[in-house]
Amino acid sequence: MTVPKVIDIESIYKTYKNEGLETEVLKGISISVGEGDFISIVGPSGAGKSTLMTILGCLGQATSGTYLLDGEEVGELNDRQLSRIRNEKIGFVFQAFHLLPGVSAFDNVMMPLVYCNKTPGDAEERVERSLNRVGLGHRMDHTPGQLSGGEQQRVTIARSLINDPKIILADEPTGNLDSKNGAEIMATFDGLNREGRTIIIITHDLAVAEHARRILTLRDGQIVSDKINETFQESRTSPARATAE
Amino acid sequence: MRLFRNLAQALRGLRLNKANTFLMTLGVMIGIASLTVIVSIGEGTKSKVLNRITNLGFGPESFSVMSGAGRLFFGRSRNTTSMTLQDADDIRAMPHVTIVVPRQRKRMRIINKKEFTTTRVYGVSPEWQVARGWTVVDGAFLSDMDMDRKRKVIVLGATPAYKLFGEKDPLGKKIRVGQVFFEVVGLLEKKGLTESGYDPDDRALIPLSTSMSRLFRQTHLHSIKVVTTHPGKVKDTMAGVTQILRRNHGLSPLADDDFRFVTPEGIMQWVTESEQALNRMLFLISTVSLLVGGIVIMNILLVSIRERIHEIGVRRCFGARRSDITQQFLFESIFVSLLGGAMGTMLGWTLSTGLKRFDLLPTKITWDPFILAFLFSVIVGLVFGIHPARKAAWLNPDETLR
Repeated sequence: MTVPKVIDIESIYKTYKNEGLETEVLKGISISVGEGDFISIVGPSGAGKSTLMTILGCLGQATSGTYLLDGEEVGELNDRQLSRIRNEKIGFVFQAFHLLPGVSAFDNVMMPLVYCNKTPGDAEERVERSLNRVGLGHRMDHTPGQLSGGEQQRVTIARSLINDPKIILADEPTGNLDSKNGAEIMATFDGLNREGRTIIIITHDLAVAEHARRILTLRDGQIVSDKINETFQESRTSPARATAE
Repeated sequence: MRLFRNLAQALRGLRLNKANTFLMTLGVMIGIASLTVIVSIGEGTKSKVLNRITNLGFGPESFSVMSGAGRLFFGRSRNTTSMTLQDADDIRAMPHVTIVVPRQRKRMRIINKKEFTTTRVYGVSPEWQVARGWTVVDGAFLSDMDMDRKRKVIVLGATPAYKLFGEKDPLGKKIRVGQVFFEVVGLLEKKGLTESGYDPDDRALIPLSTSMSRLFRQTHLHSIKVVTTHPGKVKDTMAGVTQILRRNHGLSPLADDDFRFVTPEGIMQWVTESEQALNRMLFLISTVSLLVGGIVIMNILLVSIRERIHEIGVRRCFGARRSDITQQFLFESIFVSLLGGAMGTMLGWTLSTGLKRFDLLPTKITWDPFILAFLFSVIVGLVFGIHPARKAAWLNPDETLR
């Protein structure tokens, strides 16, 4: 069965220069992700997870290597084009939520639409649909301060869905949540994947990683293992396993 | 339009960061307020000077010779005693000269029973009234007979008349000037305060002969006013006067003049020069105050960017271009400085009005500072916003999310 590739990364290297000191963070990484895939990237801190996330999210460019996102070569693009790609094709979910403080859930979810080339005519319906999808249709007017951590993270998921992205990129999405809320968030991701969304989760929490169909292990800037998760179906049906015990 | 969407985000940003918005607004407000106050003081001073000049009663065909070297009203020495009645008589004999008014002047206390005031007392010849074209509303002006007999008679301006007599009629009353009693024989028409607070009515006139022999007890003159037949004759006449006075005062060819001319032309030139100097100073002070406002904006925006680094990062993640971030922060800065500008002009206007009402400083409210303030606010917002805005835009998006 050939699934169309959403992400195709070929021997990516990333070197940071800091006060004349060169640090090679990624050392030849190749990944390909098919549409509808659910991948988690695990590894100890310092393994290069965040750097990989930066490159996958088109927030920074690799020193060398090629990155095809939805068939488009990302390495050659300028800021304007990268911004458009982030806007249209990637939905970000962060550990620290990063919602705009003092702004309602509705407006937070609306935010990515500000940067569309043309605001869609059905913007408000899309925001409502998105918030309903994560079960927060009744809290649209609440500001982040009035929402629990789990609710805030669901708002960020709704925000990531607003432009119907090709991939959802989640960086430690349960890191700031208690186990109950963490489990709910992972159940939301499971559901989104069942609907056919491509999801990449970066985490150091193995219980979170086990929700994915494929688990990549990163160490010292290289992928040391890439295996299919045998417990995939099982973990889906029992979201409680996502807890970090 | 992306631009309007960024503007909307900027306004929301300002609303959400009220403390920063307040501080930035305050910075610009103080700058603009001081600008408007300074400009209105400048304008006030200018019109005070201009008023004063018009109240000197100069026609284009006349000029004054003041005793002592120097320039215009600014004598280098108050002790020059060389100018005498002989000089005035010699000038009167010149061609094209119609009126010559020799004058003495002193500030003195004048007293009516328990009431007293200090005013400018002039010893003048009767031609003074013709030269100045000033009407006497009650009684009569000083006459040739008063002059010949060195009579102790006085003509009061409206201000000392009111201060000494209130609503009562001062005519025929005796008042004391220094140690000498004078009879009030006339009242000058009231001219009223000039806009800037100069009071032309604050004066009293006595015969020159009386002031020389009985009051000031000095023979030298303070000044001589000369009226010619035609404005075109002023220049030649001044040259002639210079010759006469230098000869009469026995000045060697190398010595400086011990007198100076006050001409309408000279005054205008001086006004223009002082206006220019004043404007330069105003410009300097305004620049400094706006610079301060701008630096306040810049610093607070820079701090604000640190505080809002996650917001910037998230916006970038979801598709904000560098130009979007730049625009958002520039809009914030411009909006804040416009707001501060508006509030600053209001505050400045209030202060200027207050200064004038309570007679603290002459101010004059004109439209210029308001238009200037508006322009400068936009410029300050742009100039001092651009650095923080660009800094925000060029933050590395992945670093902003740590």
